[in-house]
Amino acid sequence: MTNILDDYALMSPLRHRNNWLKLVIVLFGLLVGVSSTSPITPLFIALCMSFTTVAFGRAPLKLYLKLLLAPVGFALTGVVIIAFFSGSGQALLSFNLAGYPFSVRVDGLELALLVLSRSLSGMCCLYFLSLTTPMIELFAVFKATGLPESLIELSMLIYRYIFVFLDMALSIKYAQTVRLGYSNFRRSLSSIGMLGSTLFIRSWEQGDKLFLAMNSRCYDGKMTLFEVHRPVRAIELLLTSVYFLSALALFYFTKNISIL
Amino acid sequence: MHIMEGFLPSPWWQAWFAVSIPVIMYGIYKMNRLVKEKREILPLLAVAGAFIFVLSSLKLPSVTGSCSHPTGTGVAAIIFGPAISAVLGIIVLLYQALFLAHGGLTTLGANVFSMGIVGPVVAYLVYKAGMKANINFYAVVFLATAFGDWATYVTTSVELALAYPAGGVLTFAGFMSSFGKFAVVFAVTQVPLAIMEGAVSALLFKYVVNVKSDILIEMKVIEASIVKKLRGISA
Repeated sequence: MTNILDDYALMSPLRHRNNWLKLVIVLFGLLVGVSSTSPITPLFIALCMSFTTVAFGRAPLKLYLKLLLAPVGFALTGVVIIAFFSGSGQALLSFNLAGYPFSVRVDGLELALLVLSRSLSGMCCLYFLSLTTPMIELFAVFKATGLPESLIELSMLIYRYIFVFLDMALSIKYAQTVRLGYSNFRRSLSSIGMLGSTLFIRSWEQGDKLFLAMNSRCYDGKMTLFEVHRPVRAIELLLTSVYFLSALALFYFTKNISIL
Repeated sequence: MHIMEGFLPSPWWQAWFAVSIPVIMYGIYKMNRLVKEKREILPLLAVAGAFIFVLSSLKLPSVTGSCSHPTGTGVAAIIFGPAISAVLGIIVLLYQALFLAHGGLTTLGANVFSMGIVGPVVAYLVYKAGMKANINFYAVVFLATAFGDWATYVTTSVELALAYPAGGVLTFAGFMSSFGKFAVVFAVTQVPLAIMEGAVSALLFKYVVNVKSDILIEMKVIEASIVKKLRGISA
């Protein structure tokens, strides 16, 4: 909760590269990963993206590994369910538990592995984006894509206030903790209710103040953004196209391969 | 209940985007109209969005020991109504995907549908029905949030079961069997979590009513007479 990925993005050397190029790389990885039919291509994408994030983007390796472990809980639950129940072919492993038969079938396990690798490649692409591109840079890109003005405006304001309120919530939480507010279940329930309501009231007051402050500075519903022009370098273009081509080739050749 | 990046296969993630986008457009349209009418509402919406994000990144005290976060959308639906909650929901979910790695970009459509649309709509309906039936305000908040959370979790199970039906091919029986499995496994964490979040939301509204009830009256969440009655009881 204390470290938001955006903090690392601000320090990354890849921050100063072309935003569109990074976005294209990420979207390419997401789309190819999710539409591939064998686990090999997603794993290749995951490897490439991880290498780029850690080696070029200078994301701390320890942090990166920890991040990859974070969503594992959801993935494993889902994958185990798929492995056990979605197959219809030959059984690899079967046993009885509390009178119910459980069995892992070949195609079920294969699907489970595929889903796991797709999730992994998706996570790596997502981490590449969030660890190398701060949100501020993305707003300029959003503006250029013609998304509704009010939506972007709202997301910029929300972005700003997330940090204000996170600080506030943290300090309230510390204050509550040192006063034994979380010492047992009942107390923690009422503490967290109190924390939420204080946060709500304070944010409301902050909203009023924000309106006054922006109105007195002639706010008319539009904030103008400055987009730094960053040309794509030849070497970046070359690396990206090598990566794209090899991923696509792998995608094509492993189309019908099954690993079991 | 965020569905992870890459978890939904190809026709399904596009399908959920196709379902969610019209609702979001409608929400934006409604929001634009509201902002034109009352200009001071935009900063309020912004802080409300940030509030939802921060609330959803707090850890709830949990019985089962698993990592559990409130969704915060129940509170938003009660205060702003479901259409605007959907717009706030998509922004908050995008930030959660990028900053906290909860959810993902291709699964954003499915997540918005379960957490930003179905959950708030159910919470709002329960809330309206409860207020009409003249039940105690805090009890109504509790019920609305809990049912909103349960609706979210059932929708997530439906989304997963549609993508991964039992037997590999989408048939009604396969869907039902797979849906049952997902629902049972997620129920372990989601059922107590929804009750917890309901309790926390009710407490949250209790403190707000006691300290600064004029906000709620101004937003037409509750009427002044009810606040008077509630304060008479709790004071």
